[in-house]
Amino acid sequence: MRYLMTTGENSRRPDEALFAEMGAFIEEMTAAGILIATGGLEPGGTTVTSHGDEITVTDGPFVEAKEAILGFALVEVSSHEEALEVSRRFRRIVGDGDSVLRRVMGP
Amino acid sequence: MTSARGGGEEPRARVDAVWKLEAARVVAALTRMVHDVGLAEELAQDALVAALEQWPAEGVPDNPGAWLTAVAKRRAVDHLRRAQRAERAHERAASEAPGTAEVPDDADAPDEDADVLRLMFLSCHPVLPTEGRLALTLRLLGGLSAAEIARAFLVDETTVSRRIADAKRALAAAGAELAMPGREELAARLRSVLEVVYLVFNEGYAATWGRELVRADLCGQALRLGHRLAALAPSEPEVHGLVALMELQASRTAARTAPDGSPIPLHEQDRGRWDPVHVRRGFTAMLRARDLGGAPGPYVLQAAIAVCHAQARRPEDTDWAAIAALYDRLASVLPTPVVALNRAVAVARARGPADGLALVDALRDDPRLRDYHLLPGVRADLLRRLGRGEEARREYARAAALTHNDAERAFLDARAADVAAPAAPTTGPTLGDLVDGFLAGLAAPARRAYAQTLGRLVRDLGATTPPAAVDADDVARVVHTSWDGAAATTWNRHRAAVRSFAAWSGRPELADGLARRAADAPPAAPVAPDRVAALCADPAVPVRERALWSLLHESRAPVRAVLALDVTDLDRDDRRTHDGAVTWRSRTARLLDELLDGRTRGPVFLTDRRPGPARTPASADRCPDTGRTRLSYERAEYLFTRATGREATLRRLRARA
Repeated sequence: MRYLMTTGENSRRPDEALFAEMGAFIEEMTAAGILIATGGLEPGGTTVTSHGDEITVTDGPFVEAKEAILGFALVEVSSHEEALEVSRRFRRIVGDGDSVLRRVMGP
Repeated sequence: MTSARGGGEEPRARVDAVWKLEAARVVAALTRMVHDVGLAEELAQDALVAALEQWPAEGVPDNPGAWLTAVAKRRAVDHLRRAQRAERAHERAASEAPGTAEVPDDADAPDEDADVLRLMFLSCHPVLPTEGRLALTLRLLGGLSAAEIARAFLVDETTVSRRIADAKRALAAAGAELAMPGREELAARLRSVLEVVYLVFNEGYAATWGRELVRADLCGQALRLGHRLAALAPSEPEVHGLVALMELQASRTAARTAPDGSPIPLHEQDRGRWDPVHVRRGFTAMLRARDLGGAPGPYVLQAAIAVCHAQARRPEDTDWAAIAALYDRLASVLPTPVVALNRAVAVARARGPADGLALVDALRDDPRLRDYHLLPGVRADLLRRLGRGEEARREYARAAALTHNDAERAFLDARAADVAAPAAPTTGPTLGDLVDGFLAGLAAPARRAYAQTLGRLVRDLGATTPPAAVDADDVARVVHTSWDGAAATTWNRHRAAVRSFAAWSGRPELADGLARRAADAPPAAPVAPDRVAALCADPAVPVRERALWSLLHESRAPVRAVLALDVTDLDRDDRRTHDGAVTWRSRTARLLDELLDGRTRGPVFLTDRRPGPARTPASADRCPDTGRTRLSYERAEYLFTRATGREATLRRLRARA
């Protein structure tokens, strides 16, 4: 089963040590076949809205910094608990903040 | 720090999840410390028990994996100190210098990855039987419990626990070390690891048709093992080939099953449902394998075939010429009948159904494919494409009769119905009718004897086949494929059944292809008693086999009579059956106690697996407690000939010197 983990702002400043730790973690998870894809996200973005026949494109959403989604990871695990365990390891690296874990339905 | 909002998490589930991620590393590190995989696993289990006791009360530690490793290593160190103290005491008693060996220093930064790789080699060690390798690998490297492994392989938990215990004992007995295999040994040992991983994968992949999710999770386990192996042995092209093959097969999981559970053949699948994540990972692994170069091995070749399929956006874009060429090469490095059959399919696509059919027909004499439903299935497809509808319909019916999978049977029946009805519908009796009529006119003993022979004839030639369409060559092919290896008396019995039927049906020429065989050479030589003793004491052999062999040897009773015994037939105190027909001595008594282990009814010797839902054996041949069925003569014979390297049969076990 797959889970998408999204992450907001984290307290730890990104420095060389953080990159090294995160790099090792990503490498280990990829090698184990657990991490499928990961990446950082720009704040805001572009919203495409449909309403009847009309499609509108607007900048944003512009939300408060603490609510913005700034990163994601798609993982392949064998249970919900395992997904939680992977998230816990991630959180131990990045300092204070929130991650949200959602089960991906399908494919 | 405890988890405040655990989302309903239970400590047990948490411990389990941590364990599945960490088991390989922890057990590998411990094995390096104590040089004994059985002890290492026990120490690891102790640490798990400690976690289950402490975490609910004291909170889950920040880094549960490190906690488990630390606790387990502490126990390992304790164990080593105890062992050393004992050794020193022993040495002092022998008035020798005190031992200087120290507990290995944990701080010498051992190579964790290398430990895990060595553990993989160890758990797939060639001294272990295949089931032992599978169970041990899932247990030690996947962190699965015996119960989980049992569910996945449809056996009971005791069987799995025994397989694991036997495997550990066999490794200890063989003095197997957690050392890297030497260069000359490496290729063979790696093949064994790859084989185990692929078997785990296939066990799960075959199961997804039955929607058995526990078993389907085996695919995930296998993929994880494969990726791990690829990271540990990155310079081995076959490892990447296996990963690519498994990923590409996994990509089709959702597409290969219809909503009603029936299978969808590759070229009819909705390719939009192939999982791009798996496809991408498969391609990546394949590129790694290609970059390493060298002559492609069986996994790389199979993966290359899977790549050809994955690259075709529509079925008609498939490069069948390339696939057929890959199968030509695969057939030379992996000359199995199944590969040969797949090669015929590819050739039929690339060069036409007539070329494919010629290759398939060459396989019809292979006894290994005798009960393989895909052989008539493939033949049916090719006959249909050649416009030979009636023959195709019969082959579909035969394939349906041979498969054990309900969904697949329904699919084949539907195919048979789809084939155009015969131009001139047959009105006379079918082959099945004719055989039924013949058997009905016989007295009971002859009927039973002949039913086996003629049943096989009907199954292989098709019950609905008009008798006129059968010729002597067809009959000879079936009888040769089935009983060529049998003893002369057995062969002559089957021949007599066919001749009798042929004469009765007014077509004696049907048996013309069957020559009478001279009686057997003198009765089989007995197996030497010390050979039997060694076999019965071999811890790598399951207790069921050892009990059977020991009983046959000590009792000299006929094999079929022994296999027919029920638990209630035995008088275990007096070491005889209640009717006195079979008696035995102390070795058998001990093995029977171990084998029966509290069972009070049902057959004494049972199969490993419960029968599939589609097969309900007679209740007298089924254990009411485990649902498993009586061990068959064929299977028992196979197990014995395999254990003795094909040198002896069960009958020789009971022969007198």
